[in-house]
Amino acid sequence: MFAALTEEAIAAEAVVARVAHPSRGAVVLFLGTVRNRHDERQVVSIHYAAYRPLAERVLARIAAELESEHQGAVAIVHRLGEVAAGQASVAIAVAAPHRAAAYAASRQALERLKREAPIWKREHYAGGESAWREEESLVPGR
Amino acid sequence: MRIRLLAFASAGDVLGSPETDLEVPAGTRVAELGAVLTQRWPALGPLWPRLAVAVDGELARPDAPLAENSEVALLPPVSGG
Repeated sequence: MFAALTEEAIAAEAVVARVAHPSRGAVVLFLGTVRNRHDERQVVSIHYAAYRPLAERVLARIAAELESEHQGAVAIVHRLGEVAAGQASVAIAVAAPHRAAAYAASRQALERLKREAPIWKREHYAGGESAWREEESLVPGR
Repeated sequence: MRIRLLAFASAGDVLGSPETDLEVPAGTRVAELGAVLTQRWPALGPLWPRLAVAVDGELARPDAPLAENSEVALLPPVSGG
């Protein structure tokens, strides 16, 4: 299990390397990237903020629970700070003996992160305006 | 008693600072904090029902009591990913 918040650009191969193993024949890498549009507005970048100690524990808990549920290995890395449009804001790598478990764990990791991790995005638009996006009421882990 | 208040995203904007030390009545519970905070920051009123509250790093239930030097975090709806 690996979970981290980082101010540095995400190196996808390094996240995959955290989970890869000859016994795990299926590796799924999910990258979430900053979309350049929100409704009709052009998004230049997103600033990510977190309640860091709790966010780190939540990501680690999600990864650990999915590992035991799916008999795989899970790594989650989320960016903090300013992330330009097109750049990765989150990487989830899952390796499991077979593909069904790897796909399922990958999706569950992202869906849980979006509801359970105290992380917020502030969108910066062309023209200089910005706004917090507050979407999902925070829920405790299962 | 004194608590340390952390406020994130829009809650931080309302408080004007990500960290504030605050004096609250002894024995204040999480649910009672809303009234205390909106008295000082009326603009927090509309946000309060949507906030989750963490005490000392873990999400807290409304009936959880605060203690001297508790770290209380105001957590608006999240948007990671």
